[in-house]
Amino acid sequence: MSKTLFILGLYMAGLVLAFQRPAFGQDEYEFDLSEIGKEIEKKPYDIGGFFEFRSVLFGLDRDSAFHTLKFFDQDEGATLEQYNFGLRLEGGYQKGIASLYFMTDSRLWYDYEGWDGDIDLMEGYLSLKPGPSFALDAGKEVVLWGKGYAFNPVAFVSRPKDPDDPTEALEGYYVILADLIKSFKGPLKTFAFTPVILPVTESINDDFGKLDHINFAAKLYFLLWDTDLDFLFFTGESRTTRYGFDFARNIKTNFEIHGELAWITNFDQKSIDSQGNLSTEDSDILRFLFGIRYLTTNEMTVIVEYYHNGGGIDEDDAENFFEFVDRAYDTFLDTGDSSQLSKAFRLSQGTLAAVKPMRDYLYFRASWKEPFDILYFTPAVASIVNLTDQSLSITPELLYSPKTNLDLRLRGAFLAGGRNTEYGEKRNDYKIELRVRYFF
Amino acid sequence: MIKLLSMILMGLYLAGPAYSDDGNEMLQKVDRNLNPDSFETYRKLINIEPDGSKKEFIMFTVKKGRDQVASVFLSPASEKGRATLRLGDNMWLYIPNVGKPIRITSLQSVTGGIFNNADIMRLDYNAEYNCEKMEQKEGLMVLHLKAKSRSVAYDSLKMWVDNKKLLPNTIECRASSGMLIKTLYFKKVQDFGGGILRPAVVETDSPLHKGYKSIMIFARMKKRDLPDEAFTLNFLPRVESLR
Repeated sequence: MSKTLFILGLYMAGLVLAFQRPAFGQDEYEFDLSEIGKEIEKKPYDIGGFFEFRSVLFGLDRDSAFHTLKFFDQDEGATLEQYNFGLRLEGGYQKGIASLYFMTDSRLWYDYEGWDGDIDLMEGYLSLKPGPSFALDAGKEVVLWGKGYAFNPVAFVSRPKDPDDPTEALEGYYVILADLIKSFKGPLKTFAFTPVILPVTESINDDFGKLDHINFAAKLYFLLWDTDLDFLFFTGESRTTRYGFDFARNIKTNFEIHGELAWITNFDQKSIDSQGNLSTEDSDILRFLFGIRYLTTNEMTVIVEYYHNGGGIDEDDAENFFEFVDRAYDTFLDTGDSSQLSKAFRLSQGTLAAVKPMRDYLYFRASWKEPFDILYFTPAVASIVNLTDQSLSITPELLYSPKTNLDLRLRGAFLAGGRNTEYGEKRNDYKIELRVRYFF
Repeated sequence: MIKLLSMILMGLYLAGPAYSDDGNEMLQKVDRNLNPDSFETYRKLINIEPDGSKKEFIMFTVKKGRDQVASVFLSPASEKGRATLRLGDNMWLYIPNVGKPIRITSLQSVTGGIFNNADIMRLDYNAEYNCEKMEQKEGLMVLHLKAKSRSVAYDSLKMWVDNKKLLPNTIECRASSGMLIKTLYFKKVQDFGGGILRPAVVETDSPLHKGYKSIMIFARMKKRDLPDEAFTLNFLPRVESLR
C-alpha cells in the first residue's frame, strides 16, 4: 500500500514540478484584435465535454461491518484497485427563443469484478426563453435548490449530493419547470417564482418515490436587503409534503453565512432493533443546516457547515445494526447460513448506506488558491465529522491545472472511528484517487 | 455666541472628509468614456506567467447602470458556461452542473492571476469612489480616489487621467495600509463605434506577484439596454442566451 501511495504521490509531485516552470524573463505579449473577433463568433450549436481517467486505490478495513457484508465469503486482500475511464459529452442548439441542451456520462471501469460500464443521460431538456423575465423548460434537468455547500436539505426535487465530492454533476429528474423573474428598485431587488411539475411513473423518475403520481414543487426567491431568501415547498403522492426556507448573505466582503431549514411531514422515521428488525414511525421531522464561508487575506477559503438530519437513525439504531451484522457473520461462520447477512445487507440499503444517514454532522473544508505563486494550483483539505458517534473522514486534495483544459486532482480519504461508528464500520480505511480530466 | 458657533461649524467642516467636486465630475466623465451606461462587450483575459506561458479566457459581459454586471465564460472548454453576477456589493458565481449560484467575494478571482472579481466585474469608478483631491502632474491629471465604503475591494486609487481624452492612463490600487496591491495600465485606445473611444487593453501587474502579468482585451463593446431581470440569480445560468 505504502508503495502505491508513494508512487501516486511522486507522480503528482512530478506533474506539478514538470509544469511549474521557474521564473525567467517575460516577453511582451502580442495579440490580434481581428483574431479575437473570430474567437467570439456565435454558433447556433455547441458541443464539448471532457475525457477522464481516474484510478482509485481502496485500503480495506477487514474488520468492519460493511466489509463483512460485501466480502463475507471471499478474500480480496487488504487493498483493491479500480480504473475508471469516462467521457462527458454536453451540447446544445439554439434557434430563436428555443434551445436544446443535453449532457451524457459514459463510464467504463475495471476492478476486482472485471470490466463494466454504463451510459447515463444526466440532463436533456428543451428550453423556451422569450425574454429574461420568463423561461419554460421541459425534460430531464437538475433542479438544485438550497444554499449549502455539502448538504442541501431543501433540495426537494433533486438527487442528494455526495458530501465527499459536492461539486460533481448530478443526474436530473424529468420535470416541467417555469421561471418567472421580476426586478424592483428599493430593498427588494428581485423576486422570482419557480414552479416545478415532476411526474413519477414506471418509465420516468421511478426512483423518486411512489409510482403513478404527479408531484408539484415551487420556490419563491427574494433578494431583500442584500440577502438571498428562498421559500420552498413540495407536495404530491410520491413523497410526503415538505416545506423549506433558506438564506445566504455576505456579512462582510470576505465572510458569507447561509442556512437551510426543511420541515418534512409524515416522514417514515426508521429504527432498528437488536434482532435487525426495521420499524418505521410516522412523524414530522426537521432537517437544517447552518454554514459560513470565509476568505482569508492570503486567499484561503474556509467553509464550515453544521447539518442536522432529523430523519436520520440514532446511535442506538446504528449500534443495533452493527451488532446484528457481527452476529449474522458468526452464524455464517458456524453454519454457512448467509440469510441473516443478506437481511443485514438489505437493511443497510435503506438506512446506513444512505448519504450521511445519522443525525448530526459537521463539515469543514479549507482550500488555498495558488499558494507560493503556483498559478492554477489549489491544495485543500475537507473533513466530515459524525457528531453523534465522533467518527470522521479527512480528505486532503491537490488540484492543479497545468495547461488550459487539463485538470489533475490527487486526493485521499482517510476514515477514523471506533467500533460501531459510521466511519469506523465503513468498508475502507482509506482511499487514494488520481483523476485526470481533459476538456474539449 | 454666533462667532463661536461659526468657528465650531467651520472646524467641523474642515475635520470632515474632503471631496473634490471637480474631481468627481471628471471621474464621472472618465466612467462614461470607458463605457456607456449600459452595454455589452466581449473580453479576452490573458494570464501570463514569469516564463511567458499563458492561459486565456473569453467572456461575454453585460452591464446596466451603476451596479449591475453579468458575465459568462465562453472559453476555455474547462470554464465554459461559468457565469458571474454582481449587484452592487453582492457577487455570485454559477458553475454549470454544480447547480445553484454561490456567493463569492470581490477579492477572490474566478480566473486566477492578478485580476480579481472586483476587476473582472468592475462597477463605475464613481459608484465606489469619491475623489478627494486632484492635481496636475507631467501633463496628466491625477485623481486621488477614496473608497465610499469598506466593502470596496481597494481602499484607495490613484488615477492618472489624460486631460484631453478624459481616459485613464494608469491606476494604482492600494489597501487601507497604503500598500500597493496592483497597477492597471490602459493601452491601445480604439474606436469601437457608436461614439465609444476607449483603451482596448488593460494590463495589470502586482508587487505581490512579481513577474506575473494579466491582460484584459475588450472587443465589440456596444450600447445595449437590458431589463433588470437579466441581472438576477435565476437568469444567471442563461446569460449566454443574451449573445
